[in-house]
Amino acid sequence: MSALSRLPGRTNQNRSQTIRRGAAETALPYAMVAPLLVFIGALALYPTIKTAYAAFVHDNALVPPTHFAGFSNFQDVFNNAQVRASLLNTGIYVVFGVVLSVGLGILFGLLLQRRFRGRGIVLALMVLPWALPGVVEGVIWSWIYDPTFGVLNATLKTAGVIHNYQLWLGTHQLETIFFISLVQVWQITPLAAILVLASLQSIPSELYEAADVDGANGWHAIKRITLPLIRPGIAIAVVEGLVMSLNIFDQVYVLNAGASTGSSLMSETYQITFGNLNFGDGYALSLMATVTTIALSLLAVKIIYRKVEY
Amino acid sequence: MRRKRRFGIATTLTGALAISAAVASSASAHKATAASSSLKGTTINVAIAYPAPKADLAQFTKQTGIKVNWNYVQWDSLQTKIAAAAQAHSYFADVTDVDWSKVGEYYATKWFQPLNKYFPLASVRAQYPQAPAFIRKGQLLGMPMDGSLLVTTMNEKYLHAAGVKRNPTTLTQYEADLKAIAAKTSAKNPLDIPFAAAEGLSTYWYEMTAAFGGNVLSANYKPLFTSPSSPGYKAMAWMINAYKTGLVPKANLNMQDYQALETDQAHGVTASVFSDYSGDVGTIYNVPSQSKVVGQVSYIPTPGAKGVGANLGNPDGIGIPTTAKHVAAALVFMKWMEQPANQAAFAGAKGSKYVIPTFPLPSNRGGLADLVKSHKVPGAATLQALLEHHAKPIFPAGAPPWYAQFSNAVYTNIHQAASGSESVGAAISAIAQQVKSLGG
Repeated sequence: MSALSRLPGRTNQNRSQTIRRGAAETALPYAMVAPLLVFIGALALYPTIKTAYAAFVHDNALVPPTHFAGFSNFQDVFNNAQVRASLLNTGIYVVFGVVLSVGLGILFGLLLQRRFRGRGIVLALMVLPWALPGVVEGVIWSWIYDPTFGVLNATLKTAGVIHNYQLWLGTHQLETIFFISLVQVWQITPLAAILVLASLQSIPSELYEAADVDGANGWHAIKRITLPLIRPGIAIAVVEGLVMSLNIFDQVYVLNAGASTGSSLMSETYQITFGNLNFGDGYALSLMATVTTIALSLLAVKIIYRKVEY
Repeated sequence: MRRKRRFGIATTLTGALAISAAVASSASAHKATAASSSLKGTTINVAIAYPAPKADLAQFTKQTGIKVNWNYVQWDSLQTKIAAAAQAHSYFADVTDVDWSKVGEYYATKWFQPLNKYFPLASVRAQYPQAPAFIRKGQLLGMPMDGSLLVTTMNEKYLHAAGVKRNPTTLTQYEADLKAIAAKTSAKNPLDIPFAAAEGLSTYWYEMTAAFGGNVLSANYKPLFTSPSSPGYKAMAWMINAYKTGLVPKANLNMQDYQALETDQAHGVTASVFSDYSGDVGTIYNVPSQSKVVGQVSYIPTPGAKGVGANLGNPDGIGIPTTAKHVAAALVFMKWMEQPANQAAFAGAKGSKYVIPTFPLPSNRGGLADLVKSHKVPGAATLQALLEHHAKPIFPAGAPPWYAQFSNAVYTNIHQAASGSESVGAAISAIAQQVKSLGG
């Protein structure tokens, strides 16, 4: 009796327990993601919103007071010849940075896909440049580029490519940007290669076997199977290259100081913000850099990231 | 000439003022120590562009009970942190760097507390040869922390090897000596000028301009360098010509000051730095672990257009940001930092244990006299003589508030002229245009 009488109550209890457990299970993922969301919100979203607003405020420590200024900060920065030069330079950094890092990333990814002795060591060594701070890389490469005792000059002279030691930085705009960009490419190519390698390893070997049976040669296999299937990896590598080269600063600062031959959007933002103390213009430039980075990244993903299935 | 007479008067006056200043100083030091009893256990944050003098700080804490959290931040990075904290109205440090070049800026932004009520102006002027650089319209915005000067250094070994018996006193003689060194020694490009587009290049030009007998800006911040016969124009032309004719190593186009000093001069690649920093003989060239020219480099009176030229001041100071939390303790610390015995110790008078690495020169006359008396730092007497008789500020009216933008135009354009992408005349015009746009 007692057992029977308790049965419906128990069922209700079980149901509510199930509901509670269901709610807890539903909430659990949110709870686990919450710290990350708070972290991103506090350290990325909130500053971005503040910067976006501040970009429309006249905020110059030397010319107070601070007041809403509409688009005048943007007008200021576009009227600044040094900013315009740095925008052009940054465009060139992006072209060099993305093309070289992704191109080399694909090449190294393909090479590393083959099994060979010491592959693990090569992979570990490859990550080193990625792990080094930009300033350290700048210093290392300043020795490599040194026109008096640099390795680059010594190597090229030994190989007969040049007759006299050359000054690689500071004399010609394109040359300066190329050599500074090379330092960043050295830094970001390993990650691009690893992204490509990860995509390569997800391609089923049956596809290559089938292609082989169908008489496809190596190049055809790369063109028809490999490249289409690694597009997601390439897309992320392109986004990485875009983000890094649009925001290049450390390498420019160490190798080219404040010279306009290689100035970048970020080096100019730094000068305007902390040198000139014109925070409003600095925020406007930062906002432009953020919007450009997001827009180009989305565009790159839209164009390149495409799932291909066979 | 007028400047020399002013210095003469200043020297006479300072004799009388120094006595009263010394009395005031010892009284305030005593007061500071007495006041510190109520500050025992206070921890202050100090952000300075010099490494911490640990032994000295331990003594300070023992004497006053105030703990010092000394943060050594590289100069450029420190300026960014000061600006970022001030802009955000957030606490950053109780005591931090006030560079001479920032005084106009800090007067305009009010980021630092005026120190007049803690350090009487008259005694500061009397004790500190470079005090004017920290005073703006009667406000003392920082206390000189060091007595850094722009000085000329010469590798005497190279000079003698080139057959030159006496140090040059004029620019003509200096250039001829450098050419002789290039011809007869291994230093084929004997002059060190850091041509990277950075602050060190700007100060080099100011010093060179002073050697040619002038200033770059007038007292009301008008450009004084636009005429080809002006010292500023001649100075830039001289520097660019030196680079183009090979007196300066080719690699220097992208070298910043510290790189040039440590890579070129300390390794015997070059023989002379026209605008070096006081203290570098002791802190770089005579340090066996980083130099190949130990005992060879000396400070020499800076050669000028018509005899010995001027040495421009390049001092760093310390001040109290308006957001500081422990002002009383910060003042005790500042007064301790300024005591002549401590200043001399930072520069090496008490041996290596009490040294602040790379500290150039004591900021006050008392500290400088103690340093010279100690006979522990090579060239100290020469530097004292240069400071007393040849020193002058870079800007007679103090640094303008827009100094950073001016300097940016200076180093960018001189760098471009050296790289060949613009002429000296174009560089001069571009800098003058920038001064005009800034309201100079």
